[in-house]
Amino acid sequence: MSGTWISTRAWLLMLPLLAVMIAVIGWPLVDTVRLSFTDAKLVGTEGSFVGTENFTRMLTGSNFWRALVITTLFAIVSVAAEMVLGVLAALLLNQQFRGRTALRALMILPWALPTVVNATLWRLIYNPEYGSLNAALTQLGLLDSYRSWLGEPGSALIALIVADCWKNFPLVALIALAALQAVPRDITAASLVDGAGPFNRFRFVSMPYLAGPLLVALVLRTIEAFKVFDIIWVMTRGGPANSTRTLSILVYQEAFSFQRAGSGASLALIVTLLVTLLAVAYAALLRKAAGAA
Amino acid sequence: MSALEIRNIHKRYGQVETLKGIDIALESGEFLVLLGSSGCGKSTLLNIIAGLAEPSGGDVLIGERSVLGAHPKDRDIAMVFQSYALYPNMNVARNIGFGLEMRKSPAAEREKAVRETARLLQIENLLDRKPSQLSGGQRQRVAIGRALVRNPRVFLFDEPLSNLDAKLRMEMRTELKRLHQMLKTTVVYVTHDQIEAMTLATRIAVMRDGRIEQLGTPEEIYDRPATLYVAGFVGSPPMNILDAETTGNGLKLYGCDDILPLPPRFESVAPAGRRVKVGIRPEALRLAATDTPGARLTARVEVVELTGPELVTTAALGGQRITACLPPRTALTTGSAHAFTFDETALHLFDAESGRSLLSG
Repeated sequence: MSGTWISTRAWLLMLPLLAVMIAVIGWPLVDTVRLSFTDAKLVGTEGSFVGTENFTRMLTGSNFWRALVITTLFAIVSVAAEMVLGVLAALLLNQQFRGRTALRALMILPWALPTVVNATLWRLIYNPEYGSLNAALTQLGLLDSYRSWLGEPGSALIALIVADCWKNFPLVALIALAALQAVPRDITAASLVDGAGPFNRFRFVSMPYLAGPLLVALVLRTIEAFKVFDIIWVMTRGGPANSTRTLSILVYQEAFSFQRAGSGASLALIVTLLVTLLAVAYAALLRKAAGAA
Repeated sequence: MSALEIRNIHKRYGQVETLKGIDIALESGEFLVLLGSSGCGKSTLLNIIAGLAEPSGGDVLIGERSVLGAHPKDRDIAMVFQSYALYPNMNVARNIGFGLEMRKSPAAEREKAVRETARLLQIENLLDRKPSQLSGGQRQRVAIGRALVRNPRVFLFDEPLSNLDAKLRMEMRTELKRLHQMLKTTVVYVTHDQIEAMTLATRIAVMRDGRIEQLGTPEEIYDRPATLYVAGFVGSPPMNILDAETTGNGLKLYGCDDILPLPPRFESVAPAGRRVKVGIRPEALRLAATDTPGARLTARVEVVELTGPELVTTAALGGQRITACLPPRTALTTGSAHAFTFDETALHLFDAESGRSLLSG
């Protein structure tokens, strides 16, 4: 009796949330699936059923594969750099020194900034006429003349990766710092007595405590990097010459710039599937890591 | 030759001085226990010996060589921690051999040393296990093995048995004693457990507030405590301390009519009218027959607790209280007065103000 009441009450309490979730996630998802099988335009026409034509066209076209390569490159390089920088920063901030607390607080700042603000800041830094990067490099004698970092296909993606790293490495550093602080002092002391140097202490003492939390950071950051849109949209809009056009930018262009809602929806579903596959693979990896621990 | 010498060690953290001049010299093969309550500075002293903390003043010599400023690995020491401090990702064999591995000892030699140590500690069957698969006692054996395998000049133990349950603690205590007797190692052992100190040590340094209150053999510490603090800290139940005043050839206890005869050894140091503290160990007290001559304390029994091997009796003596450890079958009635007696050799006298033993000079 009381069990039924608790169950009914639980459903009643969850109902508003469920209603909102169905309205803002469930229904759009279902509608996206429907749209992906039509030739609907963004405005004007409901479109007619075209079967899997959208999917075939997307998967056989070069745009998708090029965007996939750019997205993968962006995700791998930026996440790898964030991991290395984050761990190094955490190791530094885990040392005893004057001003450590202030530095820890300062480090969070880039991560706390909204992405759009961060992207605008970096656009200013990279500006070909008055950007501080050009000024700094020419004054140091490392550059002969000002360059358009975001305007050249060869450097735009790297410039974006740097901006993304600057914003996101603090998150990795925070996670790694928390993990490092969980390393028991006695184990560190034991390794000192055992004669382990700084590298071996990191490898044998810190790493086992870092591995789990870093794996979580890796999962979160890879999925986010794979879905990246805002920083690229503000800084390059996928250009120049589509050299920074990631999958999310491609979806946006297809659905909104070219107003092809049907093929945009099919592309969005392909991206969703890829991210889901990543998430499932990482979840399995995490379970394995937890089992090993 | 001293295996370890600690000379006038001071340690300050800002305005707080946690060690106020510690001097100890340890011969090879000695088992020194640093005994004291929390915050007395014993672990700080051990960390200074290990090189995990630097002193603010003084010197530490290991094998007659100053090790101040030397890295812990270069001090020829090994340390066993309260939390075991085993590397969680390594199996037992690698944990034990890690110090040798870091010292680039050849693999075959290392493996032989690990096996030998494991055999000594009876953990040969655990060599492939991870620390998480071990019980508390097994982990402590591995931690001891990690220290033993390197055969260092000095072993440091930081409350190694505190995390074990009472039964296991007793077993490991015996095990440590056996190992020390067999290997004749030099040990500095920190504990707040006076039973561990009494059973393991060849010498005990009772520490209080950053100083050594008394340094001596377990017998000296127990039989001739230098201060009231030592008298109260060592022994369970602790020594009875009674307020009294000397009356020439006797001791008048405050709050009751009993006068205890003053043993001759105190006559020169306890002139009449001196305020003193009288110390008598609970286990020195026994029930007095009506015609027993000598010292007698008449007290009203308040609480009787049978612990198994003894009957712990608490009794009121005027405004003061005494505890006596009597044989388990002693017939006592709570609420009634009983006479207790003791050998005059069991009587200790301390200065009421300084707390120092009147015989300690």
